[in-house]
Amino acid sequence: MSGLEFVRRTVAYTVLLLVTFLVCFPLLWALSTSLKPAKDVMSTPPRLVPREMTLENYRNLITGKQQYYRADQSYVPSTAAPQHFTSWFANSVIVSLGSTLISIVISTLAAYSITRFRYWGRRIIPYFSLLGYMIPSIILVFPMFLVMTELSLTNSLWSLTFGYVSITLPFCMWLLWAFFRGIPIELEESAMIDGAGRLRVFVDIVLPSALPGIIAAAIFSLIVSWNDFLFARVFINSIENLPLTVGVMHFFEGTHVDWGLMMASAVLMTLPMAVLFMLMQRHLVAGFGAGAVKG
Amino acid sequence: MSIRLAHISKSFGPIRVLKDIDLEFPEREFITLVGPSGCGKTTLLRILAGLETASSGAIYHGERKVSDLAPGKRDVAMVFQSYALYPHMNVFRNIAYGLKVRGTPKEEAARRVLEVAKVLEIEHLLERKPRQLSGGQRQRVALGRAMVRKPWLFLMDEPLSNLDAKLRVTMRSELKRFHLRLETTTVYVTHDQLEAMTMSDKIAVMDGGEVQQYGTPEEVYNRPANIFVAGFIGSPPMNFLAGAAVAEGALSLDCGGSRGRIGRSPLAGDASRGVLLGVRPQDVGVHASAQADCIEGGIEMIQLVGSEKLVDLAYGRGGQLTAQVKADARLGVGQRVWIGFDAARLHLFDPASGRNLAPAG
Repeated sequence: MSGLEFVRRTVAYTVLLLVTFLVCFPLLWALSTSLKPAKDVMSTPPRLVPREMTLENYRNLITGKQQYYRADQSYVPSTAAPQHFTSWFANSVIVSLGSTLISIVISTLAAYSITRFRYWGRRIIPYFSLLGYMIPSIILVFPMFLVMTELSLTNSLWSLTFGYVSITLPFCMWLLWAFFRGIPIELEESAMIDGAGRLRVFVDIVLPSALPGIIAAAIFSLIVSWNDFLFARVFINSIENLPLTVGVMHFFEGTHVDWGLMMASAVLMTLPMAVLFMLMQRHLVAGFGAGAVKG
Repeated sequence: MSIRLAHISKSFGPIRVLKDIDLEFPEREFITLVGPSGCGKTTLLRILAGLETASSGAIYHGERKVSDLAPGKRDVAMVFQSYALYPHMNVFRNIAYGLKVRGTPKEEAARRVLEVAKVLEIEHLLERKPRQLSGGQRQRVALGRAMVRKPWLFLMDEPLSNLDAKLRVTMRSELKRFHLRLETTTVYVTHDQLEAMTMSDKIAVMDGGEVQQYGTPEEVYNRPANIFVAGFIGSPPMNFLAGAAVAEGALSLDCGGSRGRIGRSPLAGDASRGVLLGVRPQDVGVHASAQADCIEGGIEMIQLVGSEKLVDLAYGRGGQLTAQVKADARLGVGQRVWIGFDAARLHLFDPASGRNLAPAG
C-alpha cells in the first residue's frame, strides 16, 4: 500500500469511527445510565463505563416495583409509572402488530389489484394515496380524533391501531405496487393454466414471490407504529392504555426524574426494533430496492 | 380431438393484431406457428390457452366450443419462453403443482412426478430451486410440469429461444422425440424457420396478423404461396431477382442493357409479362465457362459454412444473388463466372401482389 493510500484510509476510517461514535453515543449513554445504581447516575466526572453495574432498574421496570429516590439519598415516593411498564410494552406490541397486520393485508390486495386488473383510476390511486404524507401529522390528528370520538374508540387500542393503519397503508401499498410489477405475469398465467383460480394464484404464487417486499413493508409499518408519540398522546388518556412512547413520559412527573429507570425503559423500548431491524435489514434493502432494476 | 380456430380476430384498441384466422389442427400433430416478431403468433397461442380472449371468432376442441372457458378448464399445458418456473418452489413442487391444484392424492402425484423426472433425466434435480438450474435444465423442468398433467394439448411459446445454439439443436430433437412418444397435439410458436421445418407436421406461416400459408414443411418450402413465405422459409433465404420476364414461352432476365435467357417459362400459354423471379441459393449453378441459358456474372464474396460455400454474385447492372455450392468448388473472389438456374426449381411471383404464379416441384 502506498503512503498516500495509507493516509487516505486512515483519514477515512477515523472519520467513520468518529461519526459512528457520535451517532451511537446517545444509545451508549442510555445503556450505561440504565446499568448504573441511582447514586452514580449524576456522579462527576461522568463515566461512560459504569464503575458499578446493576440490573436493578430493569428489575424494577419489569416487576413493577415502586421506585423511591431522594436527592439526599433518602427516598420519596415516585409516580406510579414503573408499575405500568409491562402494560405499556404489551400495548405497544399489540398496536404495532395489529396495525401492521391490517396494513399488510389491505396493501397487498390493493397493490395486486392496481398491478393486475384494469379499471378506471388504477394508475392514479398510488400517487393519490401518498398525498396524505404531504400534510403534517399534527394537522391530521385532530380531525382523526373527532372521527375516533364519533366511533367511540378514543382511549382504546383500536383508535391507535386504525390511526397507524392510516399512516402506514399508503406507503406499504406504494412499496408493494413496485414489487408486484417486478413479478413476471407468466408465473401467474402458468398457475392459471395449471388450474389455479385467481385467489389461489395470489396466495400460492404471488405472495411468496413478493415476500421480501412484504417483509420490508411490515418492518416499515412496525417501526412507524412502535415509535409514534402524537397519536397515542391525543387518543389515549388513561395511563394503563398508553403505549411505551407516551408512557415513559410519566417518568418526568413528580419532583425528581429517575434517570436510571428512564434509560432502562429507553433501552427496552429500542431493543425490539433494533433486533428486528438487524435480522431483517437484508429484506428491507431488497424491498426498498425493488423495481429499480428490471426483473 | 382436433382444434379449430374459426375466424379469430383480435384487436388491442385500434391495433388489429389478428385478422380473421381460420385454421384447423389435426389431432396428435405438431403444428408450428412461425413468423417474424409482431406477426401475432404468440397472441394466437395465448388465445388458444385462454389467457387472451378473441375479439371475434371461436375456438373449438372437437365439436365443443371453448372460447369462453377459463385456462384451467381447457386441459392444456403451456411452456413459456421464460419457462415461468415458480422461484420459491423446488423442482419437485414445481412439477407437482398442477396435480396439487387438481386434487391429485399426494402419493399418486409423487409417483407421476418421479415418472416424468425419469423420462426427462432430471431426477437428480428434484430438490433444487430454479435459480440453481441451467437454462437447459429449466427447460426440461418446464416441460415436465406440462407433461405430468397429461393434457390433450401442449402449447409452447418459443421454449428454445433462451438456449445457446448448440443446446437448441439438441433440445429440438428431444422435443420432437417427446412429441412422438406422447402423441399429444402440440402447437409450437417460433420465429426460427429452421425449428419450424425440422419439427413440424404442419406449419402456419404468419405475417401482419394473417396466415400467409398453412401446409406441410414440404409444401411451404417447395410451393410457397407468396413472396413473404418464400423469403421467410429456407436458409439461406431465397433470392428475388427483379427484371425477369416471360415471353413466347421463355424466361429471361434483365442483365443491364440486354436480356439473358435463363430457361423455359413454367407458366402456361404464351402470355408476356414481367415477373419477380425466386430461386433458392441451392438451385443456382456457378460455372467457370459459358453454358446455355446462363448469364454472365462475377463473384463478389465467398463464405465457407462448413460443407458448403455461400457465393455472392453480381450480374448485369446492380443485380445480385447468392448461390450455395459445395465447399470444394474451385472459385475465387473477382472471378468471372456463368450463372445458371435449375428451371424446375424456379418460382415466379407477381410483382404487384407477391403471389406465386408457378410454384416449383
